[in-house]
Amino acid sequence: MDLFIAFLESTIRLSVPLLFAALGGLISERSGLANVALEGKLLISAFVGAAVAATTGNPWLALGAGVFSAALGGWIFGALAVITRADHIVVGIAFNMLVAGLIPTICRALFGGTGGTPQLAIEARLPTPMAGDFTFFGAALLLCWMMHWALRETRWGLRLKAAGDQPVALIVQGVSPNNIRVWAGALAGACVGFGGIDLSMVQGSGYIRDMAGGRGYIALAALILGGWRPVPTAIACLVFAAADATQMLLQGQKLFGFNVPNSLVQIVPYLVTIAVLALRFGGKGMLAPKAINQPINP
Amino acid sequence: MTKLLPVLVSILIAVLLTSILTWALGESPLVVAEVLLRGSVGTATAFGYTLYYATPLIFTGLAVAWALRAGLFNIGAEGQMTMGGIAMAATGILFADLPSYLAWPLAVLAGFLAGAFWGGMVAWLKIRRGVHEVLGSILFNFISYGIAGFVILDLLRNHDSQNPETLPVGESYHLQALSELVGIGGTSPLNTAFFLALAVAIVVDIVLQRTLFGLRIRWTGGAPEFARRTGLSISATTLKAFAISGGIAGLAGASAVLGYMHKAREGFASGAGFVGIAVALLGGGRAWGVVAAAILFGGLQKGSLDLDLDTENISRDLAVVVQALIVLAVASRGSIIELWQLWKSRRESSKAGRA
Repeated sequence: MDLFIAFLESTIRLSVPLLFAALGGLISERSGLANVALEGKLLISAFVGAAVAATTGNPWLALGAGVFSAALGGWIFGALAVITRADHIVVGIAFNMLVAGLIPTICRALFGGTGGTPQLAIEARLPTPMAGDFTFFGAALLLCWMMHWALRETRWGLRLKAAGDQPVALIVQGVSPNNIRVWAGALAGACVGFGGIDLSMVQGSGYIRDMAGGRGYIALAALILGGWRPVPTAIACLVFAAADATQMLLQGQKLFGFNVPNSLVQIVPYLVTIAVLALRFGGKGMLAPKAINQPINP
Repeated sequence: MTKLLPVLVSILIAVLLTSILTWALGESPLVVAEVLLRGSVGTATAFGYTLYYATPLIFTGLAVAWALRAGLFNIGAEGQMTMGGIAMAATGILFADLPSYLAWPLAVLAGFLAGAFWGGMVAWLKIRRGVHEVLGSILFNFISYGIAGFVILDLLRNHDSQNPETLPVGESYHLQALSELVGIGGTSPLNTAFFLALAVAIVVDIVLQRTLFGLRIRWTGGAPEFARRTGLSISATTLKAFAISGGIAGLAGASAVLGYMHKAREGFASGAGFVGIAVALLGGGRAWGVVAAAILFGGLQKGSLDLDLDTENISRDLAVVVQALIVLAVASRGSIIELWQLWKSRRESSKAGRA
């Protein structure tokens, strides 16, 4: 029973960055902006948040700075993709590379080492009024519900979907789909930013090099598996978080009398991701936004 | 020349942006450039290291470029390289006593097959289960790290060594250092894997440009609808093209595993698969471009190692920034050319207006 509660707790904890990243990615992808740059944005806000907390000691300022920096990163990503009219995936890969190079460079200039920020003191971390990470988890679920509602009921949501599915319809109305994509990129960045803050200031105590560890890509998988809809995407995030929690519980355990090597246990979440993607209810789920990764000529 | 010019302009833009960054961090861009040049081409040994770093990049760059010609995005070269390197090391350890005319060709074949299998699975998931190859490649990268860790740390671990590495491969598997063989490269670990890379580059170019198979691959990438109407199976071509791309990436570990360390050490791929994406995009569709881009990036990697020591505020990670900026600039070169043409036509029309 204790094991089960530990499993549930770590599932919830591990799902938080995935939820924020996947929901952020959903906003951007529904607008037609294919987003493989989620990983980079997680790293940006994790680093900026921890760096601001380490220098000022004010966690709320750090939260704001982290989310803002990820939003700015998302805005730059969207603007680059729209202006250059290049393949969004190429721009996304370059964006992730740029972040992977810039963070250690800036980190060395600020803190003297490329490994990460100094350990944050308890006061400089985000206070967690309710047990552990449940506040962030609750916020993520709220965000999911809000997006579910906004995509159906608001003008903003309809325009966002139109930019991704039928950009011509917007041009006819005199609305620029490219504008919508750039701002969707920024909004997506802000959402992902909360996930990054969760990594470095709620779960962790400071930024460690490459601390997102592929979560941005798993979030992308969850988004695709969820058929680009908020509620199924959130469920997919929970499934992947559960796989990750299982992996952590299995480490160092004996299975059927054998010592399972840690390096093999660590690949369980990725295997689950691939298996679930491959066995996806073929064709029944919603397909990708029709105009995703298609540049629009002004 | 018209093709080369936008690429050179892209590199120039990336250099300019990097200079601004180094200046903002309080280092003189000229000093940084000097460190990079001295470290990469300053001495025979430095240039040997540059070519040694370029060797895996030629393989991974060719792999990504090959897949791009078929309209596929192979960002799994890192994983394919890892699996290939592990396969080479395992062959060299398990059949350590083979004579050398059998030994290293067998290891190279094993590396190719392992990479091809890894790439083939991604392609199979794409054509049969609709999993986008970008997502599939990324996930298979992570799985390959786990499998490599299992082989290196558990199955074939050298328990006498402090490092996380496998047992040594048999002597007959060693690829000779070029300094011993032909006396180039100073004391660097540059080895015959570099020639293997050049040979693969030539073969790739001939196959793509001069054979029916290459033509089919280019059709599949450039005009899939036309390819389908000629009766070509897109799925079959996709599978073959991606598996071969994986195989080429699988060879990338040869230089480090067979030529230098003579064993597989954890993390031996060290990002060469990802840099290969940048190499392929910069090099364009042709093999000689990929080789040139790989040598440029190899020099950048080697030169940037000295930044840790010779500058106060800048580390080797600057090389990654430069690479990312080059990719961005190359990706946006279409719009740069358009802006240039727009500017030219405006100037001409305003001239015409005055006259």
